Amino acid sequence: MAYSDKVVDHYSNPRNVGTLDKSSTEVGTGLVGAPECGDVMRLQIKVNPETQVIEEAKFKTFGCGSAIASSSLATEWVKGKTIAEAMTISNTDIVKELALPPVKIHCSVLAEDAIRAAIGDWKAKNGVTETAEVAVAK
Amino acid sequence: MTNGDDVSTPPQSAPQGADYFSVFSLPRLLDLDMKAIERAFYRRSREVHPDRFAQASAEKQQWSLEQTSLLNDAYRALKDPIARTEYLLRLEGITLAEDAATADRQEKKNVPPELLAEVFELNMQLEEMRMNAQMGEDDPQLRRDLEQAQAEFAGQFAGIEAAIRTEWGKWDAASNSDNSADKQAAAERMAALLDKRRYVRNLVRDVQQALGN
Ligand code: FES
Repeated sequence: MAYSDKVVDHYSNPRNVGTLDKSSTEVGTGLVGAPECGDVMRLQIKVNPETQVIEEAKFKTFGCGSAIASSSLATEWVKGKTIAEAMTISNTDIVKELALPPVKIHCSVLAEDAIRAAIGDWKAKNGVTETAEVAVAK
Repeated sequence: MTNGDDVSTPPQSAPQGADYFSVFSLPRLLDLDMKAIERAFYRRSREVHPDRFAQASAEKQQWSLEQTSLLNDAYRALKDPIARTEYLLRLEGITLAEDAATADRQEKKNVPPELLAEVFELNMQLEEMRMNAQMGEDDPQLRRDLEQAQAEFAGQFAGIEAAIRTEWGKWDAASNSDNSADKQAAAERMAALLDKRRYVRNLVRDVQQALGN
C-alpha cells in the first residue's frame, strides 16, 4: 500500500515527539490503544491555565506509519488552539489531510481519541467539568 | 464396476448458506471434539473428492469442487481455537475490533487502561533496547527487565487463552439451555479477551525480537 506524501513526510520527520511532565497540573496526558492492531499512542498537552490555550503538545506512538503521522499532525493542530477548539478536531479531518485509505481510518481515530483523552485528563486535574460528555481518561 | 455415484444416493451436500458448524452437522458450540471433526473431515473429503467425479457430469464435477472447498474452509475455521472463537462471535453478530478497522467509529474499547500503560512502558524499554543494540551496547539491567517482562507477558498470554476456554464452557452451557442473556454475556467477554490477546501477542512478539530469541 502506498502512503501519501504527507504521511511519508510526518512519518520520516515526525513533529513534537517527546514527553511532558505528567505530574504537572498544566499537563494533560492521553494514552490510548487500537484493539484492531494492538498499537498504542500517548499524546500530551500543556495548557495555559489563564487562557486555556494549548501551548505545547508532544506525542509518542508505537504503531504504524499512519498512526505516527496522525499523531504528529494532531500535535501540530492542537498547538495554539484553546481546549474548546481542540475538541472539535475530528478523525475525518485527519483522514482528509493525510489522504488515508479506509483500512487506515482507525489509526486516525486513535489520534482523535488521544486528543480527547489528553483534554479529559487535563480537565479532571483542573476540576473543569462543563463539557460533561467528554470521557475522562482514567 | 460402473460409476455408482449416479445410481446410489449421492453424498449429501452441505445445506445452502451453511455456516462452518453445520458443514460438520454441529451446533454452534465451542468446546469441540477436534478428533471427531478431523475424522469427519477426512471422511467427507473422500466422499466429495473431485477424483471420484472425473467421469461424472460437468455439473457434478462443479459440485464436487465446491463441496471440497467449503469443507476445507470449514475445517480451517474450526481447527484453530482462536479462529473458531472469532468466527462464532462474528456469526453471532458481535463486532470484533479487527472488523471495526474500516469502520469510522469503533464500537467500544475493551482494553483496560492499566494494560495500555503497561504496553506503552514496555514499548519504551524495547525502543531503548533496540537503540542500545544499534550503538553496539548492551545494558544488562535492561535485558534482565525485558526477560522478566517476557516471562510475565507469556504468562498473561497463556492466562488469556485459558480464560477464553473457560468462556467456551459458559457459552456452550448457555447454548444448550437456550439462555440468550448468558450467551450474550459470554460472547462479550470473549470479544474483550480477544482484544486483550492482540495487545499481549504483539508484546510477546516484540520482546522476543528485541531480545533476539
Ligand atoms: S495499524 Fe495500528 S494504528 Fe495503524
